[in-house]
Amino acid sequence: MEFNIDDLPILFPYPRIYPEQYAYMVDLKKTLDATGNAVLEMPSGTGKTITLLSLIVAYQQYYPSHRKLIYCSRTMSEIEKALVELKALMKFRTERLGYEEEFRGLGLTSRKNLCLHPSVKREKSGNVVDARCRSLTAGFVREKKERGEDVDLCVYHDNLDNLEPHNLIPNGIWTLDDLLRYGERNKQCPYFTARRMMQFCNVIIYSYHYLLDPKIAERVSKDLSKDCIIVFDEAHNIDNVCIESLSTDITEDSLRRATRGAQNLEAKISDMRESDQKKLQDEYEKLVDGLRGADEGRQEDAFMSNPTLPDDLLTEAVPGNIRRAEHFVAFLRRFIEYLKTRMKVRQVISETPPSFLSHLKETTFIEKKPLRFCAERLTSLVRTLELTNIEDYQPLQEVATFATLVATYEKGFLLILEPYESDTAEVPNPVLHFTCLDAAIAIKPVFDRFSSVIITSGTISPLEMYPKMLDFTTVVQESYSMTLARRSFLPMIVTRGSDQATISTSFQVRNEPSVVRNYGSLLTELARITPDGMVVFFPSYLYMESIISMWQGMGILDEVWKYKLILVETPDAQETSLALETYRTACCNGRGAILLCVARGKVSEGIDFDHQYGRTVLCIGVPFQYTESRILKARLEFLRETYRIRENDFLSFDAMRHAAQCLGRVLRGKDDYGLMVLADRRFQKKRNQLPKWINQALRDADVNLSTDMAVSGARRFLKSMAQPFRAKDQEGISTWSMQDLREHQAKMAHEEIQELKARQAAEELENSRPAAVRQDSDYEMDEDDEAELMALDVLQ
Amino acid sequence: MSRKAANGARGATATAAAAGGSSSALPAISSDDMCPVCKTIRYLNKDMEFLINPECYHSMCSNCVNRLFNDGPNQCPYASCNKTLRRRGFRAAFFGDLKVEREVDIRKRVAAVFNQAEEDFETLRDYNNYLNMVEDLTFDLVSGDDASRSKAEAELQRWEAEHKADIERNRKAGREAEEITRRRLAAEREAARQRRIEAIREAEDEKRERALSREQELDNLAQAADGQRVQLKRRGQTNRATAAAVDALMSSNSAAASAAMASADVGRLSIRGLKEKRKPAAAEGPYDAFGGMDFVPSRYKLSEDLNVPWLDKYRIARDYVTGGYSFDEYTSRAMYEAFAGLGVFIEDEKEVGIGLDASRVSAISAGIAAVGDKMELD
Repeated sequence: MEFNIDDLPILFPYPRIYPEQYAYMVDLKKTLDATGNAVLEMPSGTGKTITLLSLIVAYQQYYPSHRKLIYCSRTMSEIEKALVELKALMKFRTERLGYEEEFRGLGLTSRKNLCLHPSVKREKSGNVVDARCRSLTAGFVREKKERGEDVDLCVYHDNLDNLEPHNLIPNGIWTLDDLLRYGERNKQCPYFTARRMMQFCNVIIYSYHYLLDPKIAERVSKDLSKDCIIVFDEAHNIDNVCIESLSTDITEDSLRRATRGAQNLEAKISDMRESDQKKLQDEYEKLVDGLRGADEGRQEDAFMSNPTLPDDLLTEAVPGNIRRAEHFVAFLRRFIEYLKTRMKVRQVISETPPSFLSHLKETTFIEKKPLRFCAERLTSLVRTLELTNIEDYQPLQEVATFATLVATYEKGFLLILEPYESDTAEVPNPVLHFTCLDAAIAIKPVFDRFSSVIITSGTISPLEMYPKMLDFTTVVQESYSMTLARRSFLPMIVTRGSDQATISTSFQVRNEPSVVRNYGSLLTELARITPDGMVVFFPSYLYMESIISMWQGMGILDEVWKYKLILVETPDAQETSLALETYRTACCNGRGAILLCVARGKVSEGIDFDHQYGRTVLCIGVPFQYTESRILKARLEFLRETYRIRENDFLSFDAMRHAAQCLGRVLRGKDDYGLMVLADRRFQKKRNQLPKWINQALRDADVNLSTDMAVSGARRFLKSMAQPFRAKDQEGISTWSMQDLREHQAKMAHEEIQELKARQAAEELENSRPAAVRQDSDYEMDEDDEAELMALDVLQ
Repeated sequence: MSRKAANGARGATATAAAAGGSSSALPAISSDDMCPVCKTIRYLNKDMEFLINPECYHSMCSNCVNRLFNDGPNQCPYASCNKTLRRRGFRAAFFGDLKVEREVDIRKRVAAVFNQAEEDFETLRDYNNYLNMVEDLTFDLVSGDDASRSKAEAELQRWEAEHKADIERNRKAGREAEEITRRRLAAEREAARQRRIEAIREAEDEKRERALSREQELDNLAQAADGQRVQLKRRGQTNRATAAAVDALMSSNSAAASAAMASADVGRLSIRGLKEKRKPAAAEGPYDAFGGMDFVPSRYKLSEDLNVPWLDKYRIARDYVTGGYSFDEYTSRAMYEAFAGLGVFIEDEKEVGIGLDASRVSAISAGIAAVGDKMELD
């Protein structure tokens, strides 16, 4: 399908387009034209990715600025999916245009997924792969080789040097599999191919962390130019990603290992003092002049990374008292000892960075300034010492990162020391949480550097919350509704059981037998009428376990068992994936299955239950966060004081975005259908916080149902959905052919013209009035004319 | 500070020398559950506490300290350590690692002497070199051999003697700065506490207000003589902002008057601007849901078969047509909305009460009718 938006010709690889896709494109173009930011919500299963890609690719190819697209998604499978879509799009474009465009698109993921080295790729842990890869590819290792020493190198990596540095891989779209295959064929390392080619790509697809986590972002995404178009897809959780990327937890064990790392470091330094004095001296000389002089550009194989440092710090010289390697190690040990001592306290402490620093200074004479340089200095030292077994130094690096962060940011962070794991625990297991409270800190560099940032997801309501929390301004904030030829999903809010007793998972009543029984009977009833698969979400693992055991006691599970197989999600990923596998098999065979899972678990986020895999989703209870957590409490307080977001608003917003995410799992396209049941009294008031497309489909009659009413409604709905539904029925309503689109465009243009005309007419009127008054005094006027003019005035 | 006062400068020198001599023999506390002197284990003495003396940093339990040193100075019980220790020199160690404990003690002494700040230097480089020098010196004191330690010690004393005035001045400045930070932190904490209290109070106020308004609503329901008043009240309640005003109104004397008014107005729907024209509905007449309002358009005429091509699609197009939809309804409603509210003059209403001069109304409506006809022709 080929059409224009304004002057921009767009090639859309499908013969039909959804109305909301068109609207999305129009708004997206508006945003790009204005080089601003946008928050866009489009229902799940309406082809968001392909819409985005086809517009942006068209935009890149048509306008001379050729702005690069950086598409960030959450999981590997989503990245892979986006790459496949992009590939299909480019194929379509080639066919239509009759020639192949100069275009290169690459996906980037961790070394673990992209390694070809025969022994390294067999490692299980990502950290080990990184470390081993580095030991085979680092610059100094290769220098050694050149000097004739006997060291192992990675053939795949070395072969890259024989190629032209800007043309490591031909034009085209390379999915991760393609990349691996190409690498295997040409014996070149796919990971470094992707990393080095990022500069020369039109589209880059990778995970959030490469852009948000300052430790990685600085290395990977440093050279991207300002006019890049950044897209965060599935971004409803973006604030949590931001916060996690700047938070660290320090335990006694990690401190112990950090001490060991420091000892190793000390030993290495004294070794080097004896054998290769000159290198240490060189480093020292460089540090005297300034930090950035120390490393000739940050190389791609720089493996120890630093959290965000303000720019002025990067050009400043390292403070004199940690210039010498020995001094620095002693400095680190003192800091670690201090942390160990703090960990011995047996009560909960929460303090701000400034108060932590002042206590630190009092007891150990560590000043703020050298602390700030900690991470950077450690990187430099490790490079000088040419260490290869990096995983041993991981804990040490964590401590250094913590030191830098605590000394850099005064506001927006909090240190919380929790000596016991839970309130009832007897054996202390102290954890020092260094938590970031402000999501805006991590994402600020992104907004500062790039002019167009698009945040989009299927469920990102209420839209205004995100600009508030992340502290940015938008050009467009839009939520699209879903055009449907038939009501293909039925949201319902069930507030009472069949016995009219209210059901809720609020803390006071959640374990009452009547509530549990009512939830059980709702489950049974829905299991009876639902064809194939059914997914049930609980607010937490704890509650799920207790309610399942109560159901077992009441005989409810036996009843459900008659209709469906029952499977349960557990915190263990392996077990859960086995359960999912079984669930899918059961859905394709016979009577179907029920999957009991948790609203914040893995299943609720990444797994789609399309078609027969999910015909009903039942959300038991509002999935609030665990509000007794000290970290959450601190964050709530921070939000209230800084952004004027009230605790309850935030909690309910957070709960509803997870609920919406759960509901969205079952509807993955326009030919799909499903039942969405929200079972809690409290959902009634929170209805407006659901995404627009769900809220619109929720009829007033369906918001306060008892179990039996809900079941009869559901039965009717399922019966009507069982009727045959042809693609033809959707035409013109929920899918547009070329002709429909043209009509729509003509209509829009017509409306615009009308509007312009109306405005023009109003202006003319405005102009003519004083003229009329003047005429009045000059001329005798025809009676009728005068009456007419007066009437017009009245009309205004 | 207290330690320094106790030992004096000479004592400190001796300390450093002695500690250095035994530093290699310092016991790393592998288990802090057993006293290395009397071999008591924590199992037997729950609240065993370990003390050290900064003369030699050998740790022992408090019982041992009392046993050995209560009767005056005695020798350190550790083999090969021949320091004489006093009871009052003992204290609990802050750090688990006694080497660090010792280092920090030395640093305390050094920091008291080398206390220049960044402002005292002309270039950053000088400052960094100074820091480097201090660190070298400290390092010699902490872990150097005998020669370098005594050299460092001499250097320290030389510097102290040379810069006496500077040191005193900086110490004072440092204390002031510390005081300021402490005060700032305290102020911040206080402000945070205040804000928290404020927030709690706000939430409580809101809750109370809500409860109060609900109570009043119930009261009104209980007292209401007829349904009308309740309904009026409820309408006021929906608007949170005006709730307070309504409450005030109700509680004052005028409440009675307005209530009386309301009961007098029973059965009369109040549409502003049209009130006076209608007669008060006869109480005995049949009930009219619209209060006798006439829905025949007075300012324009609806012709039966509208023949406007651009409206046709609303009659036929699938996007618009649905069950219960009638095209005539659509046009009549559009016209109604276009003319609704015309002929309402707020200023006049305020003056005359309600209603318009009949002649003026007719004149205006005539004018409008003329335009209306024109528009329909468009």
